[in-house]
Amino acid sequence: MITQVKTRCQQLLMKLNTFVSIDRDFTWFDWLLLCAAVFSALIVGVLFIFLLYFTLPLFLEGKAAELFSAHWRPFHGEFGILPMVAGSLALALCSLSIAYPVGLGICLFIHGLGPEKLGRVVLLIIHFMTGIPTVIYGFVAAFVLVPFLRNAFAAGSGFSLLAAALTLSVLIVPTIVLLIHSQLQQISPALRLTATTLGISRIDELFHITLPAASYSLFAAAVLGFGRAVGDTLIALMVAGNAAQFPDSAFDSIRALTAHIALVVATDSQSSLYHSLFASGVILFITTAMVNITLNRLRARFVTSVVND
Amino acid sequence: MNRLMKSLGLSVMFVLLLCGGSLADELTPFDSLHGEMSIAGGTAHLPVMQDAARKIMTRNSQIVITVAGGGSGVGVQKVGEGLVDIGNSGRPVSKKELAKYSDLVAFPFAVDGVAVVIHPQNPLANLTSTQIQDIFAGKITNWQQLGGSDGTINIYSRDEASGTRAVFWKKCLAKGLVAEHANIVPSNGAMKVAISRDANAIGYVSIGHIDGSVKAPLFNDVAASQENAVNGSYVVVRKLYMNTKGQPSPLVQAFITYVLGDESATSIERHGYIPLH
Amino acid sequence: MIKGYRFLLLSWVWLSVLALVSVVAGFLTFIIHCGLPSVDLHLFFGDTPVWSAILGQARVWDALWPACVGTFLVIVLAAFMAIPLGVGCGIYLAQYASPPFRKIVSFNVELLAGTPSIVMGLFGFSLILFLRKTFLPQANTCLFLSAGCLALLILPYLIFTTQTALENIAQNQRLVGPSLGFNRLQTLLHVLLPAASKGIFGGIVLAVGRAAEDTAVIMLTGVIANAGLPRGVFGNFEALPFRIFYLAAEHRNQAELDSAYGTAFVLLCVVGVLFTGAYALHKTMEWRWTKH
Repeated sequence: MITQVKTRCQQLLMKLNTFVSIDRDFTWFDWLLLCAAVFSALIVGVLFIFLLYFTLPLFLEGKAAELFSAHWRPFHGEFGILPMVAGSLALALCSLSIAYPVGLGICLFIHGLGPEKLGRVVLLIIHFMTGIPTVIYGFVAAFVLVPFLRNAFAAGSGFSLLAAALTLSVLIVPTIVLLIHSQLQQISPALRLTATTLGISRIDELFHITLPAASYSLFAAAVLGFGRAVGDTLIALMVAGNAAQFPDSAFDSIRALTAHIALVVATDSQSSLYHSLFASGVILFITTAMVNITLNRLRARFVTSVVND
Repeated sequence: MNRLMKSLGLSVMFVLLLCGGSLADELTPFDSLHGEMSIAGGTAHLPVMQDAARKIMTRNSQIVITVAGGGSGVGVQKVGEGLVDIGNSGRPVSKKELAKYSDLVAFPFAVDGVAVVIHPQNPLANLTSTQIQDIFAGKITNWQQLGGSDGTINIYSRDEASGTRAVFWKKCLAKGLVAEHANIVPSNGAMKVAISRDANAIGYVSIGHIDGSVKAPLFNDVAASQENAVNGSYVVVRKLYMNTKGQPSPLVQAFITYVLGDESATSIERHGYIPLH
Repeated sequence: MIKGYRFLLLSWVWLSVLALVSVVAGFLTFIIHCGLPSVDLHLFFGDTPVWSAILGQARVWDALWPACVGTFLVIVLAAFMAIPLGVGCGIYLAQYASPPFRKIVSFNVELLAGTPSIVMGLFGFSLILFLRKTFLPQANTCLFLSAGCLALLILPYLIFTTQTALENIAQNQRLVGPSLGFNRLQTLLHVLLPAASKGIFGGIVLAVGRAAEDTAVIMLTGVIANAGLPRGVFGNFEALPFRIFYLAAEHRNQAELDSAYGTAFVLLCVVGVLFTGAYALHKTMEWRWTKH
């Protein structure tokens, strides 16, 4: 009996060793590297567990339904975060719908529809944009865009879904452009050669051959852009108005989940206000996790079906 | 001759000591102290706290005082949990908070009012409490309905941790509803910036924060000034409190004594509040 | 009709480019126009004499210096925490790991990369709450916590760039180590890491740039508006991006607003330099690979 258990344990250990690739001649340095890898893999799980741990009291006290109600009025005892969820979704979708066409257009410009030198300059500008901090986007938007919207459309204070969506779309355009660009860079030269020998014009080649071939990055850019838009805090905090309501029109003031966390943090630490924070964190984490899983699925589906040259 | 000079010299020294001595008095307790102290909470208190901290730290560089905002709710919670030494609140500690943190000690140091503010170029001169309640509830939506120019009323309100908001809600709005489409700003300073930049804005702010960039209309025909707050004709008032957990340590006690003293009283008045002592 | 749709497509493409370029140009012009005039010693040091401020003898009021020092310290600390972990994990994934292990670790690291920064800050905050309830009742938000959360934020960048840099070393270069009789550790230290050093270093610079600009994480874990120079790693601190946010929301007069513009300009320069450096290193690395 004991020998059976022993052999079983040994088998499992061997399987673990091959999985983790521990060799017989592992030195202390190799063990350190392994620890680093295991830590990096596990830390995201620890993060999620901590967030869940703090939302647990909600479920234990049976207040979960309260959290998913439609009004955030703490003074009247209502702690619903649904308006914030709707705000985040609306913001992300709006900014994606602005940024995606622009990003795709810029990518096509870089890959042939515009002069080559100009294309390189635009690519440089895009690379530079990845380095601009979001707080500066929010800062400029609060002082330039919001007064402009307020005066141009006499519909509200200017702090609105529209202002935040416009600013956020500027933020996520580089993400979209660089992702599509990286795949186009890989597949475009071969396709371009073939198309030229067949006499197909540039614009036809791009739209009928290259883009369909790059469909992975087209989907992935949308998904990644969405994830980035959902996760941004400062633009929503500085420019969207932070009213806890469901957005009716583009000029309504809204509050995103991320801005909600930033606004409400460190208030009463035992009440539902607090648990709403961690619930918001859990929702955000699950959203971005789903974004990642979708990206992985896409990669698995598209990359295996593309013929490698 | 010698005796005359001597007595003159002595009297000059005596006079100098009186003046110099009374000036140095307020800050001398800090000469023998050192260490760190942290303050957090109400944003209405910030100007006074920052002034006091700066004077003390310039006097004795071995003392470090950090001042943060966050709102009255944050102040009480942080001092109750022992995260800061002094938690500022713009409202008295609530029963719920006392039940949770039973050893909080409150030190009121100033009287402040909360006033409705609008953009300086808004022609409105007076607002009644019913009008204010209707505006903030979202029932009156255009300045024209109140006799002003045509424009949507943009409401600005404060976050949940705010003591200013709690006082305003209780005493001016009579615990009424605040419209859901109100923009939320996180502090008195932010409220002032928001109102001063939006011609159709309405909000509320601590009276001490009012300067030329915002305008406070008469409330039920009473001017929102600190004098009226003290004599009772302006009712939306509150005291500014410093709260500590239990009896304060020597450094914290010295700080509290300084804020309650005369030198700080001039600073409090300069920032637009009314000192309590 | 064919010409019609082509014209529409071309105009869409050109419009997108023009829109983006004008927006970016507008941003930069605004920051430079409003910020550059404010950049002088007074912006950094206020009324305090420069040398005593730098040496920490005199405290600086209402100026940038404490925020600069705070940002610098927090990113250096975060880099110290993240670089060994990130580079180590990247090396392991590139050199040792079996494909299933690599897949799982990569998936988790991508999850970490996708986590919003405010959730990272919330995690740090919840860590403090947990510690206060259990082992460490004195725990408080501080520089150390911010640096730790920033380290988590930048870990994925380090892992991915190290892994990519190592995987892209040419085969004939890899063979040099074993051909000389090196064991695995020696090959790594003397052949592979030097070959990948530009890419790894580029990744480090990118990660540092990302840490310098982030506001949401530090907002929840220890940065406040007025802290002076940080006194040790367990105290509060100031930071450049938070200063911009705070002044933008709550400036009391035009001077403070000008200070905010100046801070924005300084931050843009700092982060711009870091990202340009990372980009340049990346480009040199690419040039080296494509030569083989």
